[in-house]
Amino acid sequence: MIPIESESKTKDGTPVVYISKENLIPFMKEKKDEGYDMLLMVTGVDYVDHLEVVYHLLSTKDGRRLLVKTKTDEEVDSVTGIWPGANWHERETYDLVGIRFRNHPNLKRILLPEGWVGHPLRKNYPMDKKQYVNLGEDGEDKVSYDPKEGY
Amino acid sequence: MTDSILLTTLDEALRWGKGKSLWPFTFGLACCAIEMMSAMGPDYDWARFGADVFRDSPRHADLMIVSGTVTKKMAPRIRRLYDQMAFPKYVISMGACASAGGPYVRGYSVVDGVDKVVPVDIYVYGCPPRPEALIQALKQLQDSIASGKVRH
Ligand code: SF4
Repeated sequence: MIPIESESKTKDGTPVVYISKENLIPFMKEKKDEGYDMLLMVTGVDYVDHLEVVYHLLSTKDGRRLLVKTKTDEEVDSVTGIWPGANWHERETYDLVGIRFRNHPNLKRILLPEGWVGHPLRKNYPMDKKQYVNLGEDGEDKVSYDPKEGY
Repeated sequence: MTDSILLTTLDEALRWGKGKSLWPFTFGLACCAIEMMSAMGPDYDWARFGADVFRDSPRHADLMIVSGTVTKKMAPRIRRLYDQMAFPKYVISMGACASAGGPYVRGYSVVDGVDKVVPVDIYVYGCPPRPEALIQALKQLQDSIASGKVRH
């Protein structure tokens, strides 16, 4: 039995469990064996003093749902080994919230161009420092702080 | 004397023909593109006005309708597609986003107006503009091409 940090319910009755990030992978494996065969979504939340990763699980057999949350500083284990569909969700969470997923097969930006500085959904992202994007010779993205260098 | 009269008339006829044979470029960026598809669909059927078939290649097209939010990642690609279009070429900026950044203007990833990227002939306001507004913009563009006000 894997220890749960705390347990509650959302307004519509979906159970929410907090799990420590060390126990995340064994816990998720157990949940998959229990019938939660689909990972609907992975998101990240910035609570200023810590970051949180939220996993929405669904059992396609009987429609049960489960929210798994884990607190982290910036790094957490990837669940791509359990649900391969987590790949792009984790890349998006890395891109916008800046959570690094250990053992992810291809952890790079998915929406923003390569070379972008910072993760825009963080509370401490500097909104007044605009970045500009242009295309390089070989069609790669180039990012700079100079408005003359791009759009 | 006769020559010059024949020339102006021919020029006018050519301009009229140019206006009536616009080939739009299949190119949708955000929610406005849904209204653009509606304008070309059977309900509004803008083929009636002589801009019927949307082309899939910039080299076949001469009208670019920027229908939606221009993100910073997309902007250099829009420029590249515009450069690949053959002359004469025209640009309609459709909706608040393409014209001035729209509701996302303060976002980290949005260009505030496609006129920073390519020259624009007609702006259409609305979020999104109704298909009638887009058709009106098309008519205006055709009239300005026919009267010689717009040339590229
Ligand atoms: S102007 Fe409005 S409808 Fe058009 S792309 Fe922007 S948000 Fe969407």
